[in-house]
Amino acid sequence: MAKVWRMEKGVEEGMRELLRFLLRSHKVQGVISLLKLPDGGVAYALITDQATVQDAVPLYPLMPTNAATVLSRITLLGSPQEPLAAVLRPCELRAFVELVKRKQGSVENFLFISSTCGGVYPLKLAAQGRVKEADYWIAVRQGEIPAGIRPTCRGCNQFLPYNADITVKLAGNRELNKRCDLILNTEKGEEFLSGLEGEIHDEEAPGEEVKLLLQKRGEAKKELYEELKSEELGLSGLVDIFGRCLNCHACGNACPLCYCELCDFDSRDYEYDPSTYLAQLAERGGIKVPPNSLIYQLGRLTHMGISCVGCGMCTDVCPAAIPVGSIFYRVGEQVQARFDYVPGRDLAEDVPLTVFKEKEFQEVGR
Amino acid sequence: MSPRRVGLLPRGKTSGEGISDFLRGMLDRGYFDAALLPMRVPAGDSFAWVLLSGWAAQDRSLLSAAAPFAPVMPVQGAKSLSSITRQGKSTQRIVAVMRPCEWRAAVELSKLQQLDLANIFVITYDCPGVVPLSDWLADPSGAKQLWERALEDWQGEGMRPLCQICDRFSMVDQAGSPPDLHIGLLGRGDGRPLLLAGSRWGEELLEECEVAPEEEIKDWEEWVREATLRRREKRRKTFRELSSQVKGYDKLLQTFGKCINCHNCMRACPLCHCRQCYFESSALKLDPQNYIRRAERKGGLKLPPDTLLFHLGRMSHIALSCLSCGSCEDACPMSLPVGQVVSLVAQEAQELFDYSPGESMEAALPLVAYKEEELAWAEKPYLETYRAEGRS
Repeated sequence: MAKVWRMEKGVEEGMRELLRFLLRSHKVQGVISLLKLPDGGVAYALITDQATVQDAVPLYPLMPTNAATVLSRITLLGSPQEPLAAVLRPCELRAFVELVKRKQGSVENFLFISSTCGGVYPLKLAAQGRVKEADYWIAVRQGEIPAGIRPTCRGCNQFLPYNADITVKLAGNRELNKRCDLILNTEKGEEFLSGLEGEIHDEEAPGEEVKLLLQKRGEAKKELYEELKSEELGLSGLVDIFGRCLNCHACGNACPLCYCELCDFDSRDYEYDPSTYLAQLAERGGIKVPPNSLIYQLGRLTHMGISCVGCGMCTDVCPAAIPVGSIFYRVGEQVQARFDYVPGRDLAEDVPLTVFKEKEFQEVGR
Repeated sequence: MSPRRVGLLPRGKTSGEGISDFLRGMLDRGYFDAALLPMRVPAGDSFAWVLLSGWAAQDRSLLSAAAPFAPVMPVQGAKSLSSITRQGKSTQRIVAVMRPCEWRAAVELSKLQQLDLANIFVITYDCPGVVPLSDWLADPSGAKQLWERALEDWQGEGMRPLCQICDRFSMVDQAGSPPDLHIGLLGRGDGRPLLLAGSRWGEELLEECEVAPEEEIKDWEEWVREATLRRREKRRKTFRELSSQVKGYDKLLQTFGKCINCHNCMRACPLCHCRQCYFESSALKLDPQNYIRRAERKGGLKLPPDTLLFHLGRMSHIALSCLSCGSCEDACPMSLPVGQVVSLVAQEAQELFDYSPGESMEAALPLVAYKEEELAWAEKPYLETYRAEGRS
């Protein structure tokens, strides 16, 4: 059973009312939410003024930056003195928890509001002005997977948030144009809402609708992996897929988990003097320049695969249209399963590679 | 470019194959030890720079994957050359085939000590433009047709927006530092491309080549100059319109409003060579209260912050050397006209200092050379202000 706070208004307007309420009642000093900009673009913003909330679009189906990157930027050096509220997607919250485990941010003094997420559209669609919000909401309302969302969103079965104080019901809300349901996951969530318009009731969670959608997403994930043919990849498959990689490292830059200030692959260690090239050349006959594009991908995969939340930022920013995100999601999931680890599930759960277990993977050591 | 020797490319089925055969011959006879040129990647869906050894180049199957005139530019050639010679000069002779803007970027990078041209033999060619990478990947056959048409009519339709208004696509009027060899393609149709020597090394290479008839050289020069004038006019017009759309703080803010702060533009730019960009450094990572204070001043703060500042910073850093190659724009996931804006600013900055990037190895970078009287007019009002206030 879950406690649900119900507001009799559409979910988007309900969210804005919630944000205004939090600011008005001084329960928070600011809110972090997606905001519509004057030019029509959408970006995350730290909003401190109630009047600005009218342009907030907390549930807009786009992820211009992974919110974990934004939260880490704000809390890298410390926590805010007074509470801030953040509206973010389940995968963004999970990524942030992973970053906090790595000492790249702090969850202190935050009220986390997440949603049963319907997915986001690729950035390219926003760049072309082709985001159809109305279609998106119809699909979400009907418990369908909206057409054209990010491939990793299509197959995402982690759309129920972990660690959120409040969960906005999107998937599973048949009347989201009339009704804003806020699931209260923590006492903190309940405290922050006291005084807000609306009524509390209890209900079964997750409901049937969510279970059905979980099934659909599961099937979509299978399809995604089949398209990818990841099982058959091997080295030559990887060379084929990453052959057109420009070595621009855009994927690493957009990845919320790739937080190193200077990536090893951007360091001098991966720069060679001409004689090294020429010695290699004598052996191999040909070298792709700049070199190391495949080892970069493999290196990144081993560094952050265990924490990959499948947000799909990397795919969206790849200038060579490589399905980086789907590959990382697939490999990440397999690695995570070996360690029985779900990134972002629990802040108290250590990252597997930082924990020594004497008996772990003995079959490998044998 | 006033070549002392102009030859004709030996016959090949297409000019691309002709140049491949020519390169193979040169490698075979030991003129060069290795070649740097675009090749098809294993999956065949794109191109990448490959450094190919002389012996490997004898393998026909390998060299058949070579595409000296590649329709796309996934990595700017100067960037590629820099990754080989950034740490020092090559001891072996490498021949590189690249576009004029790539050669000029190489000249700039060499002035910035990010690349060493010793023992590097550079061949450029009349460039019909670059197909945007996303267009090529979305529809390779359609993009190939556009590219072939551009090679015929030199209108640049379907090429990168900056290529369509590029007036430096050839080397006819390159005064200071031409490449070792330039290939004249414009207007040659089915005829054999011209080979124009830009250095002693280039001349030596052409010694055994058939000499091009004077008339044909004159015709080519005339066509290139005509096409250049047409492009220049188009450039003026385009920039005039663009300027009215982006000039001023508010318009600039709007232009870059959709920027997601991914810094792809910087990574694709051949000139942005800093190992660590200031905008990615700890200097900009601040205490939470700092962000909150900034938000409170305006009611809201876009996150990540400072996206426009990043573009302004990048512009002021690279404007004098910008070659208008358009790599930044190609890499932008939000399809922002970042290359066009930077190029517009660059043109004004370069005119101000009478500096033409990549034109001459000898011309010092304006910000490196101190000239006492330079831009005195810009300082005058300040001096006068201070004197009026009695502060001098």
